[in-house]
Amino acid sequence: MVALRMRRAAVALGALVVLYGIAAELGRGRLPDRIWMGSHYVDNIQLLPTWRSLAEEGAFLLESDILASSVAVSTRRVLAGLLLGSLVGILLGLATGWAWRLEALADPWVTFFRFTPALALLPLFVTWFGYGELSKVLLIASSVAVVTLLGAHHGVRTVPRAYIDAATSLGAGRSLLFRRVVLPFALPHIFASVRVATGLAWVTIVVAELIDAKMPSLGYLLALSGAYPRVPTMLIALATVGALVLAFDLVLLLIHARSTRWMRRTA
Amino acid sequence: MTAPLLEAQGVGYTYPGTTPTRALEGLNLAVNDGEFLALLGPVGCGKTTLLRMFAGFLRPTQGTVRCAGATIDGPGWQKGYVLQEESIFPWMTVRENLEFGLLAKGADPAARRAASDELIRLIGLSAFEGTYPKELSAGMSKMVEVARVLATDPSILLLDEPFGALDSQTRARLQDALSRLWEQRRKTVLFVTHDAEEALYLADRIVVLTQRPGRIKAQFAVQIPRPRSFETRFSPEFVALKRQVLEATAA
Amino acid sequence: MKRAIHQRSLLWLASLAALVGAYTVVANQVRRPDLLPTTQDIVQTFAALVVRGNAQSAGDPHHEHHQHHERSSDQVDTLVQQGVTLQDALAVSTARVLFGLAVGLPLGILVGVLLGWSRRTDDYLHPVYVLVRSVPPLALITYIMLWLGHSEAHRLIPIVYAVATTSVIPTYHAVRDVAAPYLVAARSLGARGRLLVTKVLLPAASPTVLGGLRYAVPIAWMTAVGAEMLMAENGIGNLLVGGGMWSSRMQTRSDPAVIIAGVITLAAAGWAMDAGARLLRARLTRWVR
Repeated sequence: MVALRMRRAAVALGALVVLYGIAAELGRGRLPDRIWMGSHYVDNIQLLPTWRSLAEEGAFLLESDILASSVAVSTRRVLAGLLLGSLVGILLGLATGWAWRLEALADPWVTFFRFTPALALLPLFVTWFGYGELSKVLLIASSVAVVTLLGAHHGVRTVPRAYIDAATSLGAGRSLLFRRVVLPFALPHIFASVRVATGLAWVTIVVAELIDAKMPSLGYLLALSGAYPRVPTMLIALATVGALVLAFDLVLLLIHARSTRWMRRTA
Repeated sequence: MTAPLLEAQGVGYTYPGTTPTRALEGLNLAVNDGEFLALLGPVGCGKTTLLRMFAGFLRPTQGTVRCAGATIDGPGWQKGYVLQEESIFPWMTVRENLEFGLLAKGADPAARRAASDELIRLIGLSAFEGTYPKELSAGMSKMVEVARVLATDPSILLLDEPFGALDSQTRARLQDALSRLWEQRRKTVLFVTHDAEEALYLADRIVVLTQRPGRIKAQFAVQIPRPRSFETRFSPEFVALKRQVLEATAA
Repeated sequence: MKRAIHQRSLLWLASLAALVGAYTVVANQVRRPDLLPTTQDIVQTFAALVVRGNAQSAGDPHHEHHQHHERSSDQVDTLVQQGVTLQDALAVSTARVLFGLAVGLPLGILVGVLLGWSRRTDDYLHPVYVLVRSVPPLALITYIMLWLGHSEAHRLIPIVYAVATTSVIPTYHAVRDVAAPYLVAARSLGARGRLLVTKVLLPAASPTVLGGLRYAVPIAWMTAVGAEMLMAENGIGNLLVGGGMWSSRMQTRSDPAVIIAGVITLAAAGWAMDAGARLLRARLTRWVR
């Protein structure tokens, strides 16, 4: 069953590769090859670079270490922001889910951050913390914290009454109830929110880096390749971001699956 | 005549809401020490409400519920409560589930292990001690839940239609298992069910409740000798009593 | 129970008041209006930006108010001079968001239905979807610009794309898992075609799909604001950075009071839309248990 699915997936992806190649070849003669860059024209642009030119460009980027260092920088920022944000968010989410007084106190904050797009805070953070690592990491951390807070909160709040009653009847005090009943139950919800937060983190970092002006980073690579323009680089940068998003998601999925082996698989 | 262990006096309960529902009204019930009492009634007659009051999760809106003479003010391990819904902790193995009550009591690992060993043997799940509930059948899960409340050795057991969701064969098997368990470790049991035959098979006394608002409609003393078995279900006394009980519930 | 709700609202208000109070105290102590504008600054900025600022008309009561500004920041002045108001910017951004939702939602729902309906299509297309949604929409903006140049389209496309990719999964889940048993029952009763879709699939899937709407709205806002910050001449995102980042490098340094005012406005708008989405869901699916 799984083998069939994988075969079909391979077919679909293979078809995509082929279709793109065809489109690129067809486009070579027909698509416009000069672009207006606001003040001048640039010639010899391949809007749909062939697989060949993409491969060559990719090789160049890898050899010259540009891609690797960009990936390293961006990944580092995302990881830092994710770790910081998840820690804060999960702790706060668990606390507010468990103690309703804390929740009432934290609610104005949470609601505000929840409806503020993370990117809107970027200028503020830049004003306060300057351009550079801190403002970016903090920006990611704040949006991750909001998402994970909501996830942890939800996880605590949706523990079925049956488990709580059973545990209380067996004599569990608040502490034991939280540690051995609520927390394990909330774990899958927390993981799901971390996955969502990761996607959000990548979106945020790319834009934050597009705005900032320092090499190396994936965002800046993207901006630079847009300024020349150098299309193959741009597409490779886009693909790299996509690949990183996927990779992070997969890793999280694996961790989730391992730590919730006790869960019944739903459809 | 010793004082009853569990007592409800003039108990009434009304569920709040836009249309308040009177679940129980003017109920008087006494459960004697060491007695197996079955509460029989149709769906929605307030039996779960009454049980939850005894378990300490609800406070009556009228009257009092007492345990060993003192008013009940909250849940505790002395009143082992098995819910109708599935409440076995899926993130713990069978053994961990069984040991939970003792963990709450602060027992050391050795004592917990000894107790869970015995219980596992008692319910015949030795092969499953390290498995997670997702691999157990519904019947096995329920048995674990019952054994779980036995671990802390409470004097009272409150069971809310524990076998309701199971098929008839499993139900019969588990009724036997419960019966044998009870004969080995005498406890005071309040057992809620809507199945007359189950009530007759397990209990010493049956109390029949009316439709909502629940009041006592009839009582029966079940004097069929123990241990009861498959054959008991067809004995003339059993059948005669069953007829009486069914007539009472239908009335 | 009522007492708990009472207490809760009190705590909520107390927290909010404490927040504003603490901020006011800190901002006044720190005395760095370029970093932490005082509460008064923020309020005045709001006033300056909401009122139709026209610096030319003397004797105008609004002009008076503007003159009483404790500190006149470059950005506020520039904005007032250009006749930019907060509500205009909000209107533009909201229009973009609504457009994105209007086009993106049907697209996403369509794809979601396709994927959820047939296992076969799912096997083939799901990997493609996963690849497509992995690329952040705003990153695409650089590529789209090459094709379309500076145009409204190249700001709107990422929003549509973001909304569409976000609404696929809830729809997929709704069709495949939630509606499936009802579809099976309906089919064995002989229903097919139009009846099946309108009377079974749509109602069964709608709670989950409408729930997904609540995710799509903040994503739409995020993308719209980001697109505006990167390359637009209007809208709140643009307001926040004092001018399109790429179209013209920040001439005027962003005034934090403007940013805070803008952020508060955004939060309010986002909350309002979310409330609307919740209301819509409740209204349309009153039958949900």
